Amino acid sequence: MTQHDSTEHREMLSNSVTDFARGVDLARVRKLRESRTECDRAVWKQMADLGWLGVLAPEQYGGMGLKLADMAIVAQGLARALVPEPLTAVAVLATRVLADSTNESLKAKLLEALISGDLLPATAWQEEAGTLDVHKINMQATPFEGGFRVNGSKRFVVGASHADGYIVSANSAAGMQLLWIPQDAAGAATQFDALADGRLSGTLNLSNVSVAKENIINSGAAAAGSLARAIDHTAVVASAELCGIMGRSLEITLEYLKTRVQFGKPIGSFQALQHRAVDLYIQQELSGAVLADCLAVLDNEPDDKTRSAAASRAKARCTDAALLITRQSIQMHGAIGFTEDCDVGLYVKRAMTLAAWLGNGNAHRRRYAKTEILEGAN
Amino acid sequence: MSAAIDFNAMDDETFRAEARSFFESEYPAELRFMAGRLSWAESKPWWMKLSKKGWLAPNWPVEHGGMGLDPGKLIIYWEETERAGIGRMPDQGVTMVGPTLIRFGNDAQRAKYLPKILAGENVWCQGYSEPNAGSDLASLRTEAVLDGDEYVINGSKIWTSMAHHATNIYVLVRTDKSVKQQRGISFLLVDMKTPGITFRTIRNIAGHEEFCQVFFDNVRTHKDNLVGKLNEGWTIAKGLLTFERLNIGSPRRPLQAFEQLDTLAHARKLFDDAGFVDRYTQLKMDLNDLGSLYQRYVEKVRRGEALGPDISMLKVFAMDTYQKLAELLLESGAEYGAFAEGVKLEGEAVDLMTPFYTSRPGTIYGGSNEIQRNILSKYVLQLPAA
Ligand SMILES: Cc1cc2nc3c(=O)[nH]c(=O)nc-3n(C[C@H](O)[C@H](O)[C@H](O)COP(=O)(O)OP(=O)(O)OC[C@H]3O[C@@H](n4cnc5c(N)ncnc54)[C@H](O)[C@@H]3O)c2cc1C
Repeated sequence: MTQHDSTEHREMLSNSVTDFARGVDLARVRKLRESRTECDRAVWKQMADLGWLGVLAPEQYGGMGLKLADMAIVAQGLARALVPEPLTAVAVLATRVLADSTNESLKAKLLEALISGDLLPATAWQEEAGTLDVHKINMQATPFEGGFRVNGSKRFVVGASHADGYIVSANSAAGMQLLWIPQDAAGAATQFDALADGRLSGTLNLSNVSVAKENIINSGAAAAGSLARAIDHTAVVASAELCGIMGRSLEITLEYLKTRVQFGKPIGSFQALQHRAVDLYIQQELSGAVLADCLAVLDNEPDDKTRSAAASRAKARCTDAALLITRQSIQMHGAIGFTEDCDVGLYVKRAMTLAAWLGNGNAHRRRYAKTEILEGAN
Repeated sequence: MSAAIDFNAMDDETFRAEARSFFESEYPAELRFMAGRLSWAESKPWWMKLSKKGWLAPNWPVEHGGMGLDPGKLIIYWEETERAGIGRMPDQGVTMVGPTLIRFGNDAQRAKYLPKILAGENVWCQGYSEPNAGSDLASLRTEAVLDGDEYVINGSKIWTSMAHHATNIYVLVRTDKSVKQQRGISFLLVDMKTPGITFRTIRNIAGHEEFCQVFFDNVRTHKDNLVGKLNEGWTIAKGLLTFERLNIGSPRRPLQAFEQLDTLAHARKLFDDAGFVDRYTQLKMDLNDLGSLYQRYVEKVRRGEALGPDISMLKVFAMDTYQKLAELLLESGAEYGAFAEGVKLEGEAVDLMTPFYTSRPGTIYGGSNEIQRNILSKYVLQLPAA
């Protein structure tokens, strides 16, 4: 693709996101806690029609084959509007894993349905909290009639409440297996925990679930490598979402500082709040700079170590900046910031959910330290 | 009510043991460590139990039906309350109205209101803040005009905690518009059932209905309900704010969050992580140091000295520490740090989200941390005004 094409694509995407975001009704987001409909399939279809589910997917399956930086534009814009649909989990995490599949017929079937919005896959890779290591799993796949029989439990699955099927990682004698398991497979059961923003964290229990040979997505070192790469890519796009969250939260707050009057003056005239606002702005700009840098690194397909280091830089900074900015947004609003009616609360909650997903600041700093600092020191 | 026991004559450990065993055996198990404040309906049985034992008002003098605890014993009482996970009741009558009437009220007011607080007949709420008078409380505009024997009140109060459960409200009202703002404010007591009072509940960020906006439309209250002198309400309110700051500055709420952190750390084996240990230790030491600072003010009160504007530093440090703890708790929970409800980890129940939501407004109410810092820089450091 030429430079010209890509700029045009970006503009188009950015415009379509802005238009869409304008129409988003926050009342729905506010009610998520009760409604538990984190994914409205009609909205999802609309997102598919706008091409967003296929931004990263290869063109031969109906995708746009664009870059992570393009995907980030969509994710950031939708996060600003607090769209709850699991875009990043599907259009980045599941898409990357499926696109790496060597099982051509399964890959074509799933990717095409994913892109058109007809199939919503949830990627179930994680089993314990606080790890980014794809190998830290106990899910067992034992050979059975040419395929596998799978047993185990997955946690923290995003998008699971409306999923049509799961991409599951499991250990087998032949190394890791990435398997496709339809939602209604015998022996598969889900459970949900409410998250801070009203979205749901899924637990997937698999008990003697049989997976036919045709539903093996990827195997061995290729499977693990593909999953690790997909997780890093998703963490960076989630960082873009965090940038959307902090950006809108700060915008709302700056507006409030200009209009709320106490002691006969706009509160934004008090130097304590001016300096605070400036510090938050610096964090926002820093996040944007790190994000852009890391997107470029990842789009260049570097070696695993470089890729993971970049992903960790982005997720650590954007997480901490978003948490800080949204929390200070409450503070600078005073009591009204502590109400359900005030939009900043919605941003605080989404920031918490995104922060905890795919490694929070602490988890990414630890990973960064391990490969970039401690290993080098030896 | 039991015969007056001189709790202050007991040694600390005896008193602590007695409080602990009473709270542990008598406080309803299902109300321990609740996420939000307790409603009046939830509180009432415990309120009455405390009242019967004479333990409802630890801070009031014995002659008014309190326990008459000195500050040292009072702290033990509070610590044991926290330890037992006793919920926050609509306690404004005990914490604010009682001390106000004892100090600034007259005999008739004390006789009329104090027993009703003890008996659980009157539940009070605090009507200070207004939509346009938060940090700048002195600019409040709800006004009261004397008409015969009654004050007629018009205006609106907001963020009134638990107003929907209250039978009475104490309000700061403007009674003189011709003088400097602070000099034209009075302190009035009003029955919530008075015609002309309406309210709407406001949901907080955690989804709980804990505060309200209260509207006054020609609400009449008898002039006997004026506390202190006309136009001296600001002084009364200020006196109470100092007390409130000591109360908010106590290490007990952060300690509760710390206990959650401790449980989490064991369940997730975080002590193997040197980075975590450092942050944990830092906050542990901050908490200890907060205890020292708090103790310094307690000793001052014990010696009968007045608390000055420097008390603001206690609230600033206590609430900043509380928030840092709550934030570390969420971060140390990793994925669980986004869970809206409590979780079971290795068989241990931990509630990561509640400390976050309870710590957040701590830097807003009772004078925001920004306002406390303004007070410190102006009155303690005596830096020049902008
Ligand atoms: C949970 C909760 C319970 C409450 N309960 C009660 C109650 O029962 N009764 C009652 O009367 N009130 C209650 N309040 C209200 C509380 O007292 C006010 O929220 C507080 O006084 C701040 O006022 P505000 O919310 O209007 O914020 P504002 O005054 O509008 O402040 C907004 C922001 O500006 C900052 N700011 C304002 N002025 C300055 C300045 N000069 N310099 C620097 N920064 C400044 C503030 O610190 C804050 O960050 C409650 C509040 C909360 C959050």
